[in-house]
Amino acid sequence: MDLFLQQLIGGIASGSLYGILALGIVLIYRSTGTLNFAQGQMAMFSTFVAWSALSTAMGFWPAFFLTLLSAMAMGALVEWLIVRRVEGTSQLNSLIVALGLFLVFDGLALYIWGPLPKGFGPFSVFSGGASCVGGVCIGRLNLGILAVSVVITALLYLLFQRTRFGLAMRATAQNRLASRLVGIPVGRMLSTGWGLGTAVGAIAGILAAQSLGLDIRTMFFVLLFALSAAVLGGLDSPAGAVAGGLVIGVVKNMAGTYTPSGVGSIDLAVAFGIIVLVLMVRPTGIFGRPARRRV
Amino acid sequence: MRAAALGPKTFGLLLLAVFMALFPFLHEWPFFNTFLGEFRTFNATMFAVWLLILLGMNLLTGYSGQISLGHAALVLVSAYMTAVLSQQYGFPLWGAIGLSAAATAVVGWVVIGIPAVRLRGPYLAIATFGLMLAFPQILKLKALTQWTQGALGIRGSAVEPPGFLGSVLDSRDWMYYVAVAAAVVMTVLFLNLTRSRLGRAFIALRDSEVGAEQMGVDVPKHKAMAFGISSLYAGIGGGLFFAVQGFVSPDSLGLIDSIFFLVAIVIGGLGSVAGSIIAALFLTFQSEAVSELSKVVPGVNDLRNVLFGAALIGAIVLFPRGIAGYMQRPRLRIPKGWSLNELRTLWQRRWTFRLR
Repeated sequence: MDLFLQQLIGGIASGSLYGILALGIVLIYRSTGTLNFAQGQMAMFSTFVAWSALSTAMGFWPAFFLTLLSAMAMGALVEWLIVRRVEGTSQLNSLIVALGLFLVFDGLALYIWGPLPKGFGPFSVFSGGASCVGGVCIGRLNLGILAVSVVITALLYLLFQRTRFGLAMRATAQNRLASRLVGIPVGRMLSTGWGLGTAVGAIAGILAAQSLGLDIRTMFFVLLFALSAAVLGGLDSPAGAVAGGLVIGVVKNMAGTYTPSGVGSIDLAVAFGIIVLVLMVRPTGIFGRPARRRV
Repeated sequence: MRAAALGPKTFGLLLLAVFMALFPFLHEWPFFNTFLGEFRTFNATMFAVWLLILLGMNLLTGYSGQISLGHAALVLVSAYMTAVLSQQYGFPLWGAIGLSAAATAVVGWVVIGIPAVRLRGPYLAIATFGLMLAFPQILKLKALTQWTQGALGIRGSAVEPPGFLGSVLDSRDWMYYVAVAAAVVMTVLFLNLTRSRLGRAFIALRDSEVGAEQMGVDVPKHKAMAFGISSLYAGIGGGLFFAVQGFVSPDSLGLIDSIFFLVAIVIGGLGSVAGSIIAALFLTFQSEAVSELSKVVPGVNDLRNVLFGAALIGAIVLFPRGIAGYMQRPRLRIPKGWSLNELRTLWQRRWTFRLR
């Protein structure tokens, strides 16, 4: 039982990490209709920026906020300069552009920081021993990841549901033409959507690197789990992304624990299986709305 | 038969056929040996393999408007099946390739195609991305090592030409003929397919799904079928990939290769056979070109992905039909009594006949 609880808690912690990255993907998908496949590589790039900032003997929190700002600027710039060129043409074109961004950020990181893995953290509040209740323990880093994900979800909820700005963002996501007619600066909203999504991704990257290490390929696999979380929760539902992330994290951990050792590791296959299963059973995800189609 | 049948087009095709038939020997001839090394035969063989794979990918992306990030995984599926069937179960190589290609088509159709057709949008990309990352891990499963040899991969024996051909050809030349023959046959079939009812249906559902539905195209069926046929091409390419390389491992092809396939067909030209041929040339020579370039401009090796990513974005934004589309673009005819506005519209129409 202790083992089960232990794995459950570990799964929830890593799941909230996938949830945060999925949240970034959903934010961008909702606001601009582009599935950002570069999300993982952009998060990795931002984490490298944080690494560089930290290696100049900057404190963790200043570096953290500096990274967030730069990620936000980077996301907004990418939307403004690149993604907007193919906006409104087709799903296919925007996916291809996202994959181009994937390659660009992958290559840039390789060029600037080299292929070797870097040591990264745990920093400040995230380092320290485990806290135990009974026989079940949770590491300081996992606790921190959990706390950060709760805070981000709450902040984004407040932003979207309780501010005029959030209302404008939601309006843009729903109907661009009508939003333009009531005077919402739609272009700026789209850039902000990308900026926010990229910043949320950067947080996920910084948290992920502290537990998984920092190198160019780390985020490939995190991205897969985040994508399966987003599909499970529904690509257009932020709450679904977080919930989906938790489910994926727990399922992945359980699969890792209870698979006989003669089989080998199956976490990626499980994520793939979940994607296929969800697409077959409930294609819009748990919280998603059915898509409408127009000519 | 009339003498006039030998038009410039037929003549060109004949010349090409002769060139392809003689290619493995050209590097021994005077004149040609100044610029052709023996290694070029292998290049040409790989070109044929890439062409098969990219034709399939172009059918899916360029003709039917769906995107796959798992094409390399499908190639791996077939390469592994060919390897296991031929090395462990004693199948003749051709039987093994045929069987694996058929099996890959079924896998593409049933496992990915059918679940993904229920929704439009990026779901197919996500599902195939999952397949791409999960498949090497599945290959490394301990439960499967008795067939797949885990991370070590499977080594194949050299393929000797049959019968009397053995005295004329070595195994490398023989593989060249096999791969090129397969590529030629499948390219001709591809041309016919894209001009058939089925091919038109694919193009119709690319241009407007709802529109295609109104015209009586069974959209889910055709989407899944496009994936199935595309997987068949990947399967044939994969089987030949193993036969030509003589080796396959879980890391032979990965996510980056899948994305490179996409880069290649977008730069070559979506929705065009000529585009697929340019794409295959690109894929065959890209690493050589980059390493040549890095002798002149140091550091280019590390920047390769940046270059390709930028090329991908640039192609989609500026030349949505790739190189092939650029070469076949409508001519700019300036009408009499033109106005500046009219010129601008003409110019835009010329550039933006993009895929929708």
